[in-house]
Amino acid sequence: MTKEQRLIKRHRAEKRFKFYGLFSIFLALLFVLILVNNIFSKGSSAFMKTVIKTEIFYDQELMEVENGASREDILDADFFDVTIESLLKVYPTNGLEEEKQLINLFSTDAEIEIKLNFLENNNIAGQKIILEITASDDIDQLHKGNYPRDLPEERRRISDFQLKIFDKLVDEGKIEKNFNNYYFNKGDSRDPELAGIGGALIGSFYSILICLLLSFPIAVLASIYLEEFAPKNKITDFIEININNLAAVPSIVYGLLALQILLSTLHMPRSTPLVAGITLALMTLPRIIIPCRASLKAVPPSIREGALAVGASKFQSVFHHVVPLALPGTLSGTIIGLAQALGETAPLILIGMVAFVVDIPTSPVDPSASLPVQVYLWSESAERGFVEKTSATIMILLSFLIVMNFLAVYLRQKFEKRWN
Amino acid sequence: MNEIKIKSKNLNVFYGEKQALFDVNLDLNEKEVTALIGPSGCGKSTFIRCINRMNDVIDICKVSGSIEMDGIDINDKNLDVVSLRERVGMVFQKPNPFPKSIYDNVSYGPNIHGKGETKSELDEIVENSLKKAALWEEVKDRLDEPGTSLSGGQQQRLCIARAISVNPEVILMDEPCSALDPIATAKIEELIDELKKTYTIVIVTHSMAQAVRVSQKTGFFHLGKLIEVGKTEKIFKNPDNKMTQDYITGRFG
Repeated sequence: MTKEQRLIKRHRAEKRFKFYGLFSIFLALLFVLILVNNIFSKGSSAFMKTVIKTEIFYDQELMEVENGASREDILDADFFDVTIESLLKVYPTNGLEEEKQLINLFSTDAEIEIKLNFLENNNIAGQKIILEITASDDIDQLHKGNYPRDLPEERRRISDFQLKIFDKLVDEGKIEKNFNNYYFNKGDSRDPELAGIGGALIGSFYSILICLLLSFPIAVLASIYLEEFAPKNKITDFIEININNLAAVPSIVYGLLALQILLSTLHMPRSTPLVAGITLALMTLPRIIIPCRASLKAVPPSIREGALAVGASKFQSVFHHVVPLALPGTLSGTIIGLAQALGETAPLILIGMVAFVVDIPTSPVDPSASLPVQVYLWSESAERGFVEKTSATIMILLSFLIVMNFLAVYLRQKFEKRWN
Repeated sequence: MNEIKIKSKNLNVFYGEKQALFDVNLDLNEKEVTALIGPSGCGKSTFIRCINRMNDVIDICKVSGSIEMDGIDINDKNLDVVSLRERVGMVFQKPNPFPKSIYDNVSYGPNIHGKGETKSELDEIVENSLKKAALWEEVKDRLDEPGTSLSGGQQQRLCIARAISVNPEVILMDEPCSALDPIATAKIEELIDELKKTYTIVIVTHSMAQAVRVSQKTGFFHLGKLIEVGKTEKIFKNPDNKMTQDYITGRFG
């Protein structure tokens, strides 16, 4: 082969390599785009809910509330008759079956919404008020265009009669889309229009907080000891190998461990952020120790020698010089570890966080949901309303992860000091 | 002839299996510059790192024999290495200022040793140290800038100021000019000349010319052995040993 031929061959190899690289990046971007598009198109509608403008008559004869009743009395009172009577006026019905179908256009929480409105506005007894009542999931999906209307009636969840009412309400401008506050401030529910991630958000927040409080100090101190103070011998080598292995252990194994030790042996409360936090901390520990040790290792020995040479003790040289320099890397490692913990599902399922929890937790020892498990739970439900909520929750989870990762990069770039 | 400040007797150093120094007997005189020369890997740096026990940091390093400073063995187990290093400062081959402000670089030593209790005392120590290191005029208006923003020569003088700041008796310099240009080197050499009035200085250097310029006494190391030691003039003009003769005339090394 002549020199020229070799040269051509070399150039071709380089071009081929560049092409492979570009192609794989393009492919990766394409998949990301498909994923984001899929999630967004399915999920974005979950942030809106359909409401039906309805005239509610607070008929004093039907309400079991006396004048000047206390807040508790009102909350306990029965608004069923007021609700039914008002809702039935929306459209003329004939017979019990049609009445039932009419009522089913509204969310099962209609009575509570009517009651709460009464509670907020004291002087409306005996008056007629126009309220925006949340529509049922079927109407919600129909209005959002997610529900096929051209199927034969027996294969639809919405009857012809209901469709007729819906079309009339749309014509009259009585159906609107509002911001879906329920999605953010309610817990889980069997009714898709009432299900929210409020409980899961709080549960995830408590879990991650506990995870951070437990894993960060232990991991940082362990890394400092192992990297700076521990003698280098077979025992520390063994520990190092084990830490690396632990970081690669499937997360579900930590779930099993927590199930056996925290729940079965120590009898900690099931399905709580406390147990979730401890489990996630165990899982996150090695994932923080590894980047933390790496950033300690990256501090040049000349800095240590400089400190020792002016008479700093080993402890002083480590804590005055090495640790501050390693801190940015440690922090970003910690945040990335926490981001992983935030998205972790498998171990939480094992410790019972997969339970159906309606109430929003007020402390880390209340049963609670968490964001990834909520996604998992809803993804198993058939209703179209849960499908959009699944995607919306993935969007929320992903945006948290993106924010955390950006924070990690920002911290590292902002506080990383350069040495020559 | 000045008094003997540091005396090494039968000093042997091992890095694991490998012996780095063989029976080194070397006396260092007070307020004098002693230059250590020799080819790379001959044990010069190892020797000076024994004087402030910097080799303690290396796990596999073992030292036998004795080094006495003012008649006291510095390898004594009861001797606190921190107070030893307060008395024996060190300047490294590559300037290694802390990634902190110029002021903090110099005040760190006095701070940890409890010198300069008040801010004004500390300010004074910083100013004096920087003046002694011939850096004060260049940095007095920007003491809060990071030490790493200085030029290489300035950084090295900052490191000298840092070493001086705790008021040591001995300053060890491990090839302090090898990373510097000729102008910065000249400044450091001038400075060494000035500093020897106050401090006992040991300098490791690869430059014969530098050894001639700055030192009063020179020791020649080869393969871990101290081949010859004597007045600088004598070593460079009329060495006793053939190997020394060959090395200084550039026939090997």
